[in-house]
Amino acid sequence: MYGEQANKLVTDAKRIQHLPHLPPYASATTQAVTKEVRDLDRENNEILSQYSTSNASQPDPSSSSGTPLKSSFNPASDPATACALMVNHLAMRRNKRCLLAYHRTRTSKLERMIWAGADPFASPSPSSSGSSSLSAEEEQFAHQYGELLAQYKGQWTDVDLTGSLEPPRDVFVDVRVLRDAGEVQTEYGSLNLTKNSQFFVRRGDVEGLIAQGYVQILR
Amino acid sequence: MADIADILASVSGGPSIPQSTLDLQALTRAWVNERTAPELLPYPGELVDRIMQRIATQIEAIEMMNATADPSANFKLVIVQTELERFKFLVRSLLRARIAKIDAYPHHTLAMSQTSPANLSHLESQYLHHHQHLLSSHYHTAFLSSFPQGLRKLDDTAGGISMVDKPDEDTAVFCRILRDAGQVEIQGEQGVGVVELHRGDIWVLRWRDVREGVERGDIELI
Repeated sequence: MYGEQANKLVTDAKRIQHLPHLPPYASATTQAVTKEVRDLDRENNEILSQYSTSNASQPDPSSSSGTPLKSSFNPASDPATACALMVNHLAMRRNKRCLLAYHRTRTSKLERMIWAGADPFASPSPSSSGSSSLSAEEEQFAHQYGELLAQYKGQWTDVDLTGSLEPPRDVFVDVRVLRDAGEVQTEYGSLNLTKNSQFFVRRGDVEGLIAQGYVQILR
Repeated sequence: MADIADILASVSGGPSIPQSTLDLQALTRAWVNERTAPELLPYPGELVDRIMQRIATQIEAIEMMNATADPSANFKLVIVQTELERFKFLVRSLLRARIAKIDAYPHHTLAMSQTSPANLSHLESQYLHHHQHLLSSHYHTAFLSSFPQGLRKLDDTAGGISMVDKPDEDTAVFCRILRDAGQVEIQGEQGVGVVELHRGDIWVLRWRDVREGVERGDIELI
């Protein structure tokens, strides 16, 4: 109760920031926190409804039906109840913030992966294959964000927004192939990338392969 | 990099400097400013358009040189390509820095774009709206939809805490004065002091105090 579950989400979110991959979505905790919020809200409504029923003689019709917040409750006359209401209310807000923080951390991680050209749907470890670590909503979000990014990027084809953010030194670089990558088409014809071979190629042409770990730059 | 004397000379506007050189300086300055300022700066639309046009021309020129396959042109080709890559990097880094800020403070940027629409390019505001839409629908499907009605908003300011994150306007920035920019008041431990901004000076000041000067072009960040 009172934010204990939500604290798990916060520590989880902190952990996620430093992980190279996304751990599985904490759907059970999320549900528990959401349930806690609903319970707290119900509790508040119950407390307040006592006040509106005990003052049912009041002629104002809006206070008794549906809008318990407009009841005749006077915090000064009953500080204990006021305190309980306040604590419940703050706990709900805190839970909401924790949930938002957890989800935002995960979505920004997804966004970064998509910017970097990594596949967010890839499973972090082969043993847990089959079930993705993303929730269904997150998968949908990742797809849509990918589309959004492609759309924005498409307006800047000449500068290639997802390109390297390191200032370029040389147009051409020496690269060594770490894994077989097959034939790659460049502006100057095709390269056959077999393991352990070396090439002198335009940096822009192999940028994607470097990011995916197929080739390595030699210095 | 041009040294400080060159930069200062260019600001006083010698007629002999070609537009392309001025644009490069302006782009470099816009890039450094954008990367060091805590807040989103106005979008340099005309400058970026001119630069993008030059990049397109340069790409065409390189294709022409490639087509002729003249071995003696190869050396020149490498230089032109290196220059092109550097220009592309500057534009890319500038745009990415802007996107990073837009993503960090979406609601603040949204509110700001209502009052001063020139701060965002058309594409950026499209991106911002679309991205916010995606995020809020994600939150809603994930948990907000089962919340009590009063707690579903994403830009609440009730309860003493605003949900809208803002950039820290009081953070300190390093800046160089390009033109005499009058005085700014600074808040020190011993009360208020006044700093006279003379051309060529370098200061560490609060962003809030130098923002106007940067937007006028009198001050650059470093």
